[in-house]
Amino acid sequence: METREPREQIEISAVINDHAFNGEVPARMLLSDFIRHEAGLTGTHVGCEQGVCGACTVLLDGEPVRSCLLLAVQADGHIVETVESLAGDERLSAFQQAMKDEHGLQCGFCTPGILMSMAAAERHGYPAQTAEREMLGGHVCRCTGYVGIRAAIRRCWESGPRAERTETR
Amino acid sequence: MTATEQASMIGVRLPRVQDDRMLRGHGYYVDDIDEAGVLHAAIIRSPVAAGRLAAFDADAAREAPGVALVLGPDDIEPLVDAVPSSWLLMGQQITDWQIVSRTVRYVGQPLGVVVATSRAAAEDAAELVGMEFDDQPAVVGVPAAQAPGAPLLYPEVGTNQVGQLHVGSPVEELESVFATAAHVIDLTLTVPRISHSPLEPRGIVAEWLPATRQLTISSSTQVPHLVRQEVAHALRIRVDQVRVAAHDVGGSFGQKTTLFPDEGMICVAARMLGRKVKWIEDRSEALTASYQGRGTLSRSRLALDSHGRFLAIHADLHGDVGAFSSSGTGGTGPFQVAGLMIEGPYRYEKAGATISAWYTNAPPTAAFRGYGMQEGTWIRERLVDQAAHELGLDPVELRRANMITADQLPHVTHTGIPFDNGDYPAALARAAEIGAERCRPSSGRVRRGVGLASMVEITAYAPTFLQEMFQIHWSGWESSTIRVNEDGTVTVFSGVTSVGQGIETALTQVAAERLGVPPEWVSVQLGDTSTATYSNIASQASRALALAGAALWRAADTLRGRMLALAASALDTTPEAVRLSGELFESKEGATVSWREVAHRGWMGWGRDDPDRIRLEETVDFDPPSIAFGYATHGAQVAVDLDTGKVAVEDYWVVHDSGVVVNPLIAEGQIIGGVTMGLGGALHEQSTFDSSGQPTATSYLDYIVPVSEDVPDIVIEHFESPSPHIPGGFKGLGESGTIPPPAAIGNAIAAAVPEIARHLTTTPFHPSRIWTLLDEAGLTG
Repeated sequence: METREPREQIEISAVINDHAFNGEVPARMLLSDFIRHEAGLTGTHVGCEQGVCGACTVLLDGEPVRSCLLLAVQADGHIVETVESLAGDERLSAFQQAMKDEHGLQCGFCTPGILMSMAAAERHGYPAQTAEREMLGGHVCRCTGYVGIRAAIRRCWESGPRAERTETR
Repeated sequence: MTATEQASMIGVRLPRVQDDRMLRGHGYYVDDIDEAGVLHAAIIRSPVAAGRLAAFDADAAREAPGVALVLGPDDIEPLVDAVPSSWLLMGQQITDWQIVSRTVRYVGQPLGVVVATSRAAAEDAAELVGMEFDDQPAVVGVPAAQAPGAPLLYPEVGTNQVGQLHVGSPVEELESVFATAAHVIDLTLTVPRISHSPLEPRGIVAEWLPATRQLTISSSTQVPHLVRQEVAHALRIRVDQVRVAAHDVGGSFGQKTTLFPDEGMICVAARMLGRKVKWIEDRSEALTASYQGRGTLSRSRLALDSHGRFLAIHADLHGDVGAFSSSGTGGTGPFQVAGLMIEGPYRYEKAGATISAWYTNAPPTAAFRGYGMQEGTWIRERLVDQAAHELGLDPVELRRANMITADQLPHVTHTGIPFDNGDYPAALARAAEIGAERCRPSSGRVRRGVGLASMVEITAYAPTFLQEMFQIHWSGWESSTIRVNEDGTVTVFSGVTSVGQGIETALTQVAAERLGVPPEWVSVQLGDTSTATYSNIASQASRALALAGAALWRAADTLRGRMLALAASALDTTPEAVRLSGELFESKEGATVSWREVAHRGWMGWGRDDPDRIRLEETVDFDPPSIAFGYATHGAQVAVDLDTGKVAVEDYWVVHDSGVVVNPLIAEGQIIGGVTMGLGGALHEQSTFDSSGQPTATSYLDYIVPVSEDVPDIVIEHFESPSPHIPGGFKGLGESGTIPPPAAIGNAIAAAVPEIARHLTTTPFHPSRIWTLLDEAGLTG
């Protein structure tokens, strides 16, 4: 296996929210730090740096990953999506709107990670129950008690384009 | 007459004003501040719990790449003064805390700081600092602190006891009741230390500009004014040389309520460097070195007569303050409130509490959501349920028979707490009804049970006379400023702060309601000492909406009157003949002038009655004449797996009264979030230490916070008894949900498995604890 010095700079190319990034990053830099402090996308939050809390979740080639458990160099050649990509200029996404309407966020720190996991759940066509139990189950929220987030999932999945894919509950 | 034509904004489920930007990823937390020109800090911490730092060698660290500054205790100590505590316990001899000391009293104690060009470089260099310690045996937990011959954290004090206070009926009178009562329930009840664990850890960016001699601080804090006060004191500068701003705060829960020693070091470093220095706490620092909460042990007794009438309650309560008594609302305050509120919603012939606090080799304890009242409720409601169990009585009926009735309010407790209004038995009855509907049978090896817990809580804290009487240096009063700007928009300022609880939205609703304008015209700006009104307690103690809302209510009323008078002047009529309809003031004759035009004329100083008042701005200071009390009964249904010891909360319901609710959407969110935090303490959470004082819950893998599957959908019913003391009738509710869950869940486990009821005395009820109790009772099969 190839070894690198921690301070060594390594060239990477990645696409972040439709913007191409070509440049050098330190070999040891976490993807989360790269997204926040190099790409300037501070919507991705770091809550534990141990992969437990889920606040730093982003999509890598469409799959939810903990950006605190990846190195920036591992994004080389991949597409990264962060919370900043979800809303249109005017309108929130359907799930973002449901989170607002159902009071699914309080301090807002864990919220971006949950939004990214739910974006993946929607694209994969997972039923509401999977979104609620398995995807939300991978996130820690210290404020809301999850009830509003689950209500947002149900509201979003039971109305709009995902409704036909939702199993009978 | 009223100026408003719009529907009332009070009681409206208005979605929150900050949600759009937060959902777009545009929150603005301290680590989101632009990094141009920023230096990064790492804190050097003690790896031992007790002893003395014998050697500190930073030569290698100073030579490391990118390092701008390394400070050790001998560098920092001459530059700083100790920070005074705000509320002392009777007998307390040490009345302040040090930013740095060579005497080590807990693992994680900050001993120095490295500042470098990147966080990684700072952390690398911190690893190069050589330290040697003269270790001493650690005092871990209150019993160890009390033990004869225990090592002393402060040998000069001669004991590990911080102080002691007895409240309520005299000890002799209590003891004489316990000696003669038909029944005495006697339990030793424990609540361990837990971590607030906000998802955003602490963090600070401090910048000293030599040119202006100003220190500008961005901090994840609940209390910008207190941080300003404590930084200025510690660094020996004027308070007006310090500006503290809290932008978005990613949760706090009572933790971020003071300056911390490590934050003080960052300010020292920024001042020495004349640069902007950032420090962001990581999760293991947050779990091990940041302040914790709770940590009480009590021998508690309830005396009853032969008919089940409560005769006396007493808690001999011992709190774990840790290495020092922290300032602000930390230190011994939560233990004192646990004792003061021990009686809850019941009548007794005698009642009291003896409150002691102890130094131990662990991080200091701070305020924690519920502020001692969760601990007091845990003690009382476990005693009450155990009494019902031992006397063969229905726990609901036992509560009802002893509960203070609506017509017995107001009521002053034996500890001197003046309960105001409400109907405690009605909340109990409704919660019992819900429990009866939801009760499900046991099945196979899974036992089920329902438990209730009732409480009364202090909210809207507090009258300044009370603070002065007890020499508690918190600003109990609160103020709000409302301004109609020259373009007609409306800005509200207050000393309370936003920590995710939704206060901006609730204050927006109050301003819109009283001024008679749409909520979209209102912007609420909080958290910056350069614009906020003074408040050194800010958003704590379930007070923000009740007190800042009350001040705003009055200020907006006055400003509405002034806008009407200015409109009348512009329309050449009397204020009584003017009404506001949408964006226009209309006279009876049908003439109109726009809100915006009136605002413009106002700022020009035209057409005013009062020669001395020009600016369209009103500030009201509100000092509540008394405390407002919320109350609730919570119910839990649990399933206990006899084979694994796992407790699942299958159903949870809350019947509560917080006075007039401004925004039920937010209120329910606060209650549910509070219940979840209480549930975490009941089932999972504990900050653990080994016998040498090393923390053993150092990550989220071994400090377990609740996840979605732990929390059922929660049923909430509101009663609404307006506070007689507060304009708008508000009471507070930010802490309410947190208070009863450990007792309600403990009582539900007791109902499910009465064989172990007497031993349900220590939280958390995690599977190994419950399985052990089940095994000892011969129930594990």
